Parts: sequence; structure tokens; C-alpha cells
Amino acid sequence: MSQIALWGAVELGLVYAFVALGVYLAFRVLDFPDLTVDGTFPLGAAVTAVLIMAGINPWLAAVVSMLAGALAGLVTATLNVRFKILNLLASILTMIALFSVNLRVMGRPNVALLSVDTMLTPFYGHGFRDFMVRPVFLLALVIVALIVVWRYLESDAGLAMRATGANARMARAQGINTDRQIYLGIALSNALVALGGALFAQTNGFADVTSGVGTIVVGLAAVIIGETLFGTRRILIALIGCVVGSILYRIAIQLALSSDSLGLQASDLNLVTAVLVTFALVLPRLKRGVLLS
Amino acid sequence: MIALDNIHVVFGRGTPLEKKALSGVSLTIKEGSFTTVIGSNGAGKSTLLGVLAGDVIPTEGNVRIGNADVTKLPTAARAGRVARVFQDPLAGSCGALSIEENLALAHKRGQRRGFKLALGHSRRKLFRERIAELDLGLENRMTDRMAMLSGGQRQAVSLVMAMMAGCDVLLLDEHTAALDPGMAEFVMKLTEKIVGAKKLTTLMVTHSMRQALDYGDRTVMLHGGEIVLDVEGNNRRNLDVEDLIDMFRRVRGQTLDDDELLIAE
Repeated sequence: MSQIALWGAVELGLVYAFVALGVYLAFRVLDFPDLTVDGTFPLGAAVTAVLIMAGINPWLAAVVSMLAGALAGLVTATLNVRFKILNLLASILTMIALFSVNLRVMGRPNVALLSVDTMLTPFYGHGFRDFMVRPVFLLALVIVALIVVWRYLESDAGLAMRATGANARMARAQGINTDRQIYLGIALSNALVALGGALFAQTNGFADVTSGVGTIVVGLAAVIIGETLFGTRRILIALIGCVVGSILYRIAIQLALSSDSLGLQASDLNLVTAVLVTFALVLPRLKRGVLLS
Repeated sequence: MIALDNIHVVFGRGTPLEKKALSGVSLTIKEGSFTTVIGSNGAGKSTLLGVLAGDVIPTEGNVRIGNADVTKLPTAARAGRVARVFQDPLAGSCGALSIEENLALAHKRGQRRGFKLALGHSRRKLFRERIAELDLGLENRMTDRMAMLSGGQRQAVSLVMAMMAGCDVLLLDEHTAALDPGMAEFVMKLTEKIVGAKKLTTLMVTHSMRQALDYGDRTVMLHGGEIVLDVEGNNRRNLDVEDLIDMFRRVRGQTLDDDELLIAE
């Protein structure tokens, strides 16, 4: 694997770290399997791309993307909480609907962001090469997001959200409005995923309606790799695990694809992804099995 | 004070499975009194507790807790007035969260939860002190997950949690039923100590007639969704378990089978 390919893998891993943090909130904190993210990731990319092309400040565009993502999350939460649709199914409905919404937002299947300013433009050309600037910039943003999520989950309000996912009946007995926690948590989760989409568009220079396929699998892979390596005891460690998991996942994919001896090609990506995620899911069980025997 | 006025609860109304769980229950409980509730399976004990906690909204009738009419309030909205310990040790606390995190949740029961750290320095100290009073050595395990504790330890912590924030009534839902005899006694003694010290208005549902008479100052027996016995004072002091079983037999209109003898213990 070349140095550029490695930096590229780290960059993509950091973009998807936002997805991993979002997936952690939905799956782990709220115990809500939310597939909406397959739609919110390209939604974030689409909104950012269209706004930037319309001359809007790229930072503002990213913020609007987050709001759009939160809105999509609220739709899923409403279907689940208000209309009692099974959480998984509610999220699939929103995900399917978002495919059409994303096409409407962009007006066509993809939008290129060439020769326009992005969030990264001011950081290019200070003596560092572009492929190194992007991961460093993303890492800074990831750290900010991680600290915000961490601090929130350690607060009284965040503890209420964790209790909702862990034992909803107990949470209600403690005066926690569990419905409100689900609205809030799923909105927050999808806002993070949409931010990931917005950054994907700005670092890669395009938004594509198909870029969301498998987002949930990638996010979940990152979360599980992180849990396997770091454990789940402390919130901060688990969150760092999500970020590191996301990066390691991309490097593993890159290694698999660039290894000549394996004979894989780019179109094998989804198969490799599925195998890797399966491996990450089975690994904790294998570890336990080894310890027991 | 708690006042239940002509409470009717019907489950599955209009369906073939329609079930009257409570039929016209009226009960007034004085401030600071400790009432025990007994009855066989299906008598309406759990429903009665559910009506007070907010899990069950009555089909008819009025519920007052403290000075407020809470008839239509869902569980979360009245949690500031109601502290509760469940029968299932797993139900009343979060197994995935640590002891101190569970206490932090209980510390804010029924209050607005802001962005303050749930486990700041002073709170940690307070929680540790409260847990140390149990004398179970749990104060050295504050960061252990609740799931690591035994059922009895969890119930003891649940009692501490119930006392973290103020309440108008403490509801105990057969909270020793799932414990071994030794631990059940420990938890009951602890309950008595806490309730006595704070002069809490308490309602304890129990399967055990022994418990129903040994603790508290008033006993109510439910059968078929109605109150069939309500004793306090001298009448209650003169009762023993045999008398209760007799009354039980009379209201059932049949002889006792093995199942019912079990509850005499």
C-alpha cells in the first residue's frame, strides 16, 4: 500500500468516524437499530453540495446538512414513537424515502464540487501536501465532535438517554420522558451522520445519491471493531474506539484491496466489507471461547 | 396523603378478553402511614400499584397524591411524587450502568436534567456515603455495573435510590419476593428503618401474610378487584396469620390448596 493510499484510508476513516459516533448513539446508547443513516449520509452530502454550488459558505452548508439529517432522524423517531412502527422498519421507510428526497435536492444523481471553495480551501497550500491536510483537518473536527458527545453522555441529560436505552421502564419511573429521549437521540445521531456526508462531499469534491449504500454496515463495523479492541466500560474509551475502529476498518479494506496475492479488485469492496464486519462480530465470541477452553 | 376514589380499571374493554382488574376501589392513606396490601394472584394488587405509579390509567375514578390530582398523568410526569422499588431486581435499576450512575439517575428523579456532570466530585461523595450506610461493602464498588450485584444487593441499592430524591409516596411492589430468605429479611429491616426514619407514606404489596401483619400499621386485602378487608390499630394487632387465612378462605368460598398455604410464610 502506497503512502498516499494510507493517508487516503485514514481520511475516509475519519469521515466515517462521524457515522460511527452517530451509530454508537442510536445502536448502543438508545438500543435503536437505525438504518436511516443510509439515507442521511448522502442527504448531508447532497445538501452541502447544492448549497456550496449556490454560493453559500461551506461551514454554514455543513451546519444546514446537520439540521437536514436531524430532521430525517425525527421522521424515523416519529414513525416509531408516535405511530408505533417497529424501529428497524421505521428507519427503512425513511431510508427509502430519502433516496427520492436526495435526488430532488440535487436535481440529478450527482453534483461535482470542482473549482469552488470548501471548508478545506483555507488550509491548502501552507507547505503541506493536500492529502495530508485533509486527514489532519478532519481529525480536529472529529475530536471536537467526540468531546461534545462525551460531555453530553456524562451529563444528567445524557445519563437520561443512556437509561432510556438500557431500561426504559426504570427510566420512566425516574421521571424520564423516554419518547422525548428517542426523538432527541435519533435526531442527534443522524445529524452526526449527515455531517459525515457533508465532509465526504467537501473532501472528495462530489455528492452522489448512491454513496449511502452500506453506511450502516460501515458505521457498525467501526463501532464493533472499537468495542472489540477497547471494551465498552467507559464512555470516553468507547467513543475513541468508534473513531479508531473506523480508521482501522478503512485501512483493513485498503490492505485487502491492494494486496496482489489476494487478487481482489475494487468491485469486491462490498463483499470484503461484509466479511470484515462478520469477522468483527464473531471475534468477541471467539475470544471468549478461547478464554473458556 | 393518597386518595383513590372509586377506581375502576378494565383491561381490553369491548374484547372477548375483557378483564375487570379493579372495581370501585376507594382508599385513603394518611400522611406518614405504612400500609400493606395482600391478595392472591389476580386480586388487583399490581394494578392498584400501577394506578398509583401511572403505569395504569384508570377507566374511571380519581387518583390524588399529595395535593395534586394525578389521575391522567403518565409515569414519568408524576415520578417526582412517587418513589418505587420493583419486585424484579433487574427492573428497578439499569444493569448496564454503574452503581453511582444509577444513583445519579435517582438523584434527579422527577426533576429537569441539565448538562451538569452526572458524577461530579460532591455527588460522588454523597452517593458513596449513602451506599456505605447499607454496610454491604458496596461503597468500594461504586463504578461496578449494577448487573454484577446479587438480587438482594440490587434491591438494597434500589431502596437507597428511592430515597435519593423526595417523594409523596413510596411504593414497594413485592420487593423481597425474588430474594432468598436471609436477604429478604435484610431488605425488609432496611425498609423499616428507612420508612420509619423519614416517616414516609408507604404502600407495600406483598404475597406474604407474615410480612403484611409484621410490618406497617394498616393492612388491606384485595380480592377480585375489590377491597375485602381493611384493618388497623387494635383490630390488626390481634390478628395473626391464621385469622388472615381464615378470612382469605371465606372470601374465596373454598378450601385452601397448597398454593395458598405457601403465602402464609
